Order: sequence, then structure tokens, then C-alpha cells
Amino acid sequence: MNRMLRTLWALLSSRALPPLVLGLFLLLYIGIAFFTDETLITLMAIVRRNPLLVALLALLPLNGGCRMVVEISRYLNRRRSIFGYSSPPSGELYHESVELSAPPSFAPLEERLRGEGYNTVKNGQQLAAWRGVTLLPARLLYLAGIFCLLAGILVSLTSRGVNRQEVVEGAPFPAPGGNGGLVRSISFQHGSGWILAKELELEVADPDGAGALHRFGVYPPARFRGAFVYPRYLGVALICRISAPDLPAGYEKSVVLPLYPPGREASTVLSGTPYKLTLTLTVPEDGSDPYTTGKMLFGFKLLKGKELVLTGTLPGGGAFRKDGYVVAIPDYRRMVMTDFVSDNGVLLIWWSAFLFTAALLLWLALHIFLPRREMLFLSRGGTIRAFSRAEGAAMNHAGVFHEALDLLETST
Amino acid sequence: MVFLKQIPQFLVWMLLLLLLLRGFPGRRRAVSFWSTGGFALGVAGYLLLARLLPVRVPLGIIRSVMGGSFLLLWGVAVASLYRSTVRDFPLLRLDRFTPLCAMVGSGAAGLMAGGICANQLPAPDGSLLRFLPFLLLPLAGALLAVIARSVEGVVIPSYAATPSSLLAAVVALLLLSSSAAITLDLFSPLSMKVMKGTHDFVHQFMESILIPDHLFIRPEIWGYIGFLFGKEVGFWGGMIIWFTPVLLIALAIWLEPLPSVAQFRQGARRRLLLAAAIREKKHRMVIPALALVAFAAAAYRSSFPSVEYWDPKPLAVTATPAGEILIPRKGEVELEDGRMHKYLYKQGDKEVRFFILMNPSGKLTVDLDACAICKPDGYGQTEGMLLCYYCKTLIPLDTVGRPGGCNPVPVPFRELEDGVHLDASSLVNSWNQTVQSTTRSKEGGK
Repeated sequence: MNRMLRTLWALLSSRALPPLVLGLFLLLYIGIAFFTDETLITLMAIVRRNPLLVALLALLPLNGGCRMVVEISRYLNRRRSIFGYSSPPSGELYHESVELSAPPSFAPLEERLRGEGYNTVKNGQQLAAWRGVTLLPARLLYLAGIFCLLAGILVSLTSRGVNRQEVVEGAPFPAPGGNGGLVRSISFQHGSGWILAKELELEVADPDGAGALHRFGVYPPARFRGAFVYPRYLGVALICRISAPDLPAGYEKSVVLPLYPPGREASTVLSGTPYKLTLTLTVPEDGSDPYTTGKMLFGFKLLKGKELVLTGTLPGGGAFRKDGYVVAIPDYRRMVMTDFVSDNGVLLIWWSAFLFTAALLLWLALHIFLPRREMLFLSRGGTIRAFSRAEGAAMNHAGVFHEALDLLETST
Repeated sequence: MVFLKQIPQFLVWMLLLLLLLRGFPGRRRAVSFWSTGGFALGVAGYLLLARLLPVRVPLGIIRSVMGGSFLLLWGVAVASLYRSTVRDFPLLRLDRFTPLCAMVGSGAAGLMAGGICANQLPAPDGSLLRFLPFLLLPLAGALLAVIARSVEGVVIPSYAATPSSLLAAVVALLLLSSSAAITLDLFSPLSMKVMKGTHDFVHQFMESILIPDHLFIRPEIWGYIGFLFGKEVGFWGGMIIWFTPVLLIALAIWLEPLPSVAQFRQGARRRLLLAAAIREKKHRMVIPALALVAFAAAAYRSSFPSVEYWDPKPLAVTATPAGEILIPRKGEVELEDGRMHKYLYKQGDKEVRFFILMNPSGKLTVDLDACAICKPDGYGQTEGMLLCYYCKTLIPLDTVGRPGGCNPVPVPFRELEDGVHLDASSLVNSWNQTVQSTTRSKEGGK
């Protein structure tokens, strides 16, 4: 049983595991590419449906976690060996090891190493020397980033739920589960940031609190009842009213059209009649954004079958009359097509970005300015075993190590 | 003349043999035998398959094996790097399989080289004259093997090939050889797949971390994102995938730990040993450098193929008042001559390019000079194929008229006695939809 567990642990924590798993997924991707151009989407769909592939993908974050344990354990073992709290270390903890005959006197060596800038500690029959700071924290941040990224992808792939809804000014907020409060306003302004050109804010009255408001922006998207509120595109919700010589009683319809940006056309069929209405938002002469100002001028085309019977412009709230036809838009409101995304993987992926950045900065600083270098000399029965390890500036460290060995031997 | 065209292939074959002989120094006889035998078998196999089956079958086999070899090279390169940098990385020791590797590796390399060389010869038509080059090719291969074996002794012995660098060089030379034929080329299809893969990946990435749409993003920032959707990314991404394995192998050699010299107490001896180890490392970089040059040459030949395309100037056509375009079956052009005939229809300020082609099964097809994926740069016709100018994808003629992928977008038409009849408005709509969607996507839309 123990042997099986050890094998399992060796497998899960092996550095060979990630390239193998990624290689398998790459092969799968290449295989799918022979059959469809939507390769990535198809691969994602296949993985989502197949528990075996999900389990295979889960090995990657698991491996990241296991590597953290292995690397902490190795660091602690090395630390224990340096301070003489454990039996002689195995060679695999160090990069170089050598055995030589020399007397068990470390006094001149300790002085020499101190002169080279190393910290030393003598403990009975052993001398340890080190300088710099270990890269372990940077490595742990990196592995934590790997864990978060891959776990995030896994969670996102297997559990993401998207519910697309129209958020209309003055209408109930269509939150998952209903009763999301009332959309008090939708504002759309020029942005001042480096990345976002526009700032959008949905202001929603809290359904439970008296007067409290929820505000949802563009990025990072806020959450409402566990779902990210992810605005996708803008449009207008309006009521259009039409009467025609052959439709004297008139026709009224509430419709939501993706009319933004100005100039974009969208149509609605007036069901039960031969008419189709095509609308656009026209750009005001002063160049302002009608979605920002709220003053909207609509261009329209009224078609009867394939025949164009009326065309013109009318302001929101106004009407256009000609040749017995009337086209009116008595009410219009801003609309934001919004995805309510239930996905806890997003948070993990965001975290991974922070962790990778922190790991890179820390690694660079430590590797360049304070690389960890260690030596350990153990005296046992007339021989000395020496171990050396360097996380940077390895050539200089090797030079010091070799000179230390020379000094030990010449002192016989 | 036929054999003059083969000179670059023969040079590649000789280099290949030199490398194999250097890679398995104790097994020169076996390497010569198996590689020459493989070469002859490759020529014979290609000839047999090309006679019995449509020519795309042997071409498909060669392309698949080349693609598989490239993937294998990637795996070996990653493993080499892990082995050099990770001290506890478990890896199978292959030393005891050297005889088998020499036999299988030489045979497979010879087989592929033979198949590729045979593909460069004119297709046999049953006459003895056309068969003769196929008979002479294995003899030429064997002669070059003898020359290579005698030349190999002259090369400096310390220019040793590690197993990974040997594989890199062999695959690189085979890819260089196959890049001479547009139908066997792998770099252009790779670039196209990278372009599409990058597009999918960026789109999915933005969706997954909820990045807002271009509506909210500064145009200049969106311009940078839009760069990821262009063919330049396909080309440079393809270059990265193309060159990375051999660079990883070179890096693996460079990062190999120097031997421990701590047991020697004379500083001079330590320095001598380290200097010798560094010198040996540099010598072992020669073969990866050669592979790098071969990969670069293959990519260059793929990007600038020496193939002539049939790409006629589009003829202007007009529609009747009822909105119908008629292309006569015979007249200024012969619609049924198996060549692509391009036309240009103008409606107001809009121009639509389309072509008519009789495919190998004898059916006429009318298609836009654009596909549903790429920018509408159009198509050229080469032997048995159309080539998309934007992404360099080859489309077999018998699949033209079917929608999907990089195939030209088919247009509905009626084939009557007098010629081909098209509805002008559906032609314009189809062009508008295609061009709008591909332009938006290439310029960074989602």
C-alpha cells in the first residue's frame, strides 16, 4: 500500500507530468484540426463532456500543488542539514558533492568563507556556509500561479454558466433568480483610462435595501448574486407605433434593437402586417454621442414587402407623418445586452496574473542581486564530504568552493 | 533535365547520409545499407501508390509522416531541455537501443527522402521513357551513399551529433527537401493553423476573463489586439513553432551542467577540464546550427515558392435589368477548359470578384474569389489545386464548390444551354457578408 502511495506521489509530483499532459492535449488539438476549423472550441466542448479528459486536465493544477510540497520539503531538508539537525544530506539536494581526506578542522576555512561574504555556522563536525536569499518564495509564487491558472481554466471549462439578458433603463434588473431591483440609470461617458475609451455604469436599486444602490461598470466586472455582470453591447429599447393607409388602426410594438454605434442598422418585422421597419441612430451635427446625451434621432425605412414606402428621420418621443403614413417612437430607453456569468474560475485566473507578475519580479531581483549559494562540509572519520549549490552566480561560487576544498586539503 | 532539377534534393540526401553516418559512428555499414534500401523503397512505394491510387494519397502519407516527425522532434526537444535543466527528470536511457535506432532511423529517413525525390519526377504515364527516371533514382541514391561514406571520414571527429540534434538535422533536411513541392510543404499550412488558432485562443481568452468588447476599448489598444488576428501573427507564430525545437535542443546542449571537477586539487587541471568541456559543447552546437539553417531555407522556399499560378485578370460583367448575370459557356473564354476564370461585377461603388471553374469531376462551380475566413486576397490555380493568397492554403480542385474552411464561398447559379446564370443581388449580398465578416475579424472584431 505504501509503495503504491509512493508511486502515486512520485507520479503526481513529477516534473515530467505537465509536458506529457500538455503534449496529449496538443495531439488532440492537432487531431481535431484535421476535421474542423473551430479547433479550440471543439476541443473545449470535448473536454467538457469527457470526465477522463477533465481528470487528465485536473492533473496539471494538482501537479502544481504537489510541486510546491516537494520544493518546500526539499528546502526544509537542506535547511535542516545546514544547521546539523538531520543525518548527512543526500547528494540530490545539492548540485555538486565531493569527498576528500582532510583533518576535521574548519577554523581557517570558516575565516576564509566569511572573508568571501558567506555566513557560516559550525555545528560539531560540520561547517555550513551560505549567502544570498533563496529563490523558493519566487518559485512558490510561480507554482501558486500555475495552480490558480490551471485550476481556474478547469473550473471555468466545467462549470461556467452564461445567461444573456437585456438590461433596460427603468425596467427590472434581470438578475438570475429574478427580483434584481430596478435599473435606475445607465450612463455612458468618455473614459479617461489608458485602456478603456468609454465608461459604462449601470445603477441598480437594491431590491432588499431602502435606497441602497448597486453600481456595475465595465472592468473589472462586478458580481451580483454570484454572477459577474459582463456588459457586451449597447442598444435601444423602444416602442414603435405605425399607421398606414392600409393599416388605419395602427400597430404598436415594443422592441429592443442593437442600434449602437450610430449608423448601425437593425430591423423589426411588424408581425401580422406586410411591413418591416429598419432603424438607425443618426450622428448629431455637434458630433456628440446620442447614447451619452440621451437625445436620440432615429433614421428609419419602412418597407412593405420589398418596396420602400417611407424613409426619413424622427426624434425619440416624436412622430413622422407623410402620405397617410405615421411612424412614431413614443418611448425609448438605453439598453445594455449583458451576460450574467456564473464562473468562479475567473477569480482564480485573475489571481494567477498577480502571482506570475510577483513571481517574475521577485525572481529577477533575487537572481540578479542576491542569489543563494550554499556549501556544507561534513567531517566523518578522517574524511570530509563537501556539498555545494548555487541558484545564481554559479561560476563565482564554484570558484570559491574549489578554493575551499584546496584549502582543506593543504591544511593536512 | 529531370535529374538537373533533382540536384538540390541529391545534395540534401547526401547531407542526410553524412549526418546519419556521423550520428551512428559505430554502425556505418548498417546506416549505409538501411538508408539506401529505404531510399529505393521510398521511390518504389511512391510510384506504386501513385499508379494505383489518386496522387493525393501518397502525398498525404508523406505529409503526415513529415508532420509526425516534426511533432516527435518537439517532444524530443522538450525532453532534452528538461533533462539538461532538471536534475531529477526521469528519462528512458536509449543507449542500449542504438543498433535499433540506427536501423529504423536510417531506413525511415531513406524512405522519406526517396518518396520526396520521386514526387519531384514527372508522373509516369505507362511509357518506358517516363519510368526510366524512377529506375535511375535509386541508383543515384546508392551512388551518393557511397560518396557520402567516403567523405564522412574527412569531417572533424569532434563534431559529434547528440541523438536529439541528429533528429533535428534529419527532420530539418527532409522538410527542406519537401518544401520544394508546394503539395508537400508544411510551413504554410502551419502558419495558417497558427493564425486561426491564435484568433480562437485570443477570443476565448478575452471571453474567459471577461474583457470588454471593442466598443469600450481605446481604438489604439484595440489596434494592438487586432494585430493578433492578422496573417503576420500566423507567419511569425509559425516561425516560432518551426524554429523552437531546434533552438530548445541547442539550449539544452548549452545548459548541460559542466562536469564536476571538485575532486581535482590542481586549479590548472580543473580549468583545463572545464575548458575542454566547454569546447566540446560548442562543437556539439554545430549540428543544431546546421538544422537551423535547413529550417530557415525550408521556410524561405515555402514563403516564396517557385511555382507559377494561373491567375487571369477578372473580366468585367454586367447584369440585365432583371438583375441576372449571364456568362456564356463558350466565347471569349472556354468555361469547361478546367481553368479558373475570374469575373468582376460592379454595382454602384461595390465590386464583386468571382470565378467559374470546371472541377475534375466535370461539374461547373461558381464561387466568390474569397473565403469565409481570410481577407479577400483571392485565389490562384496551380497543378490540381487552388491556393489562397492570404493564408497560402492549398485547396484540392475536387473540393472547390463545397463551403467551409478556406474554400472559396460557393455562389448559387443555374447552368443552362447558353451558359451560367447568376442572380446579381444574391452575388452582391454574399460578397458583402463574406467580406464584412472577414474584414471585421481580421481587424480585431470579435
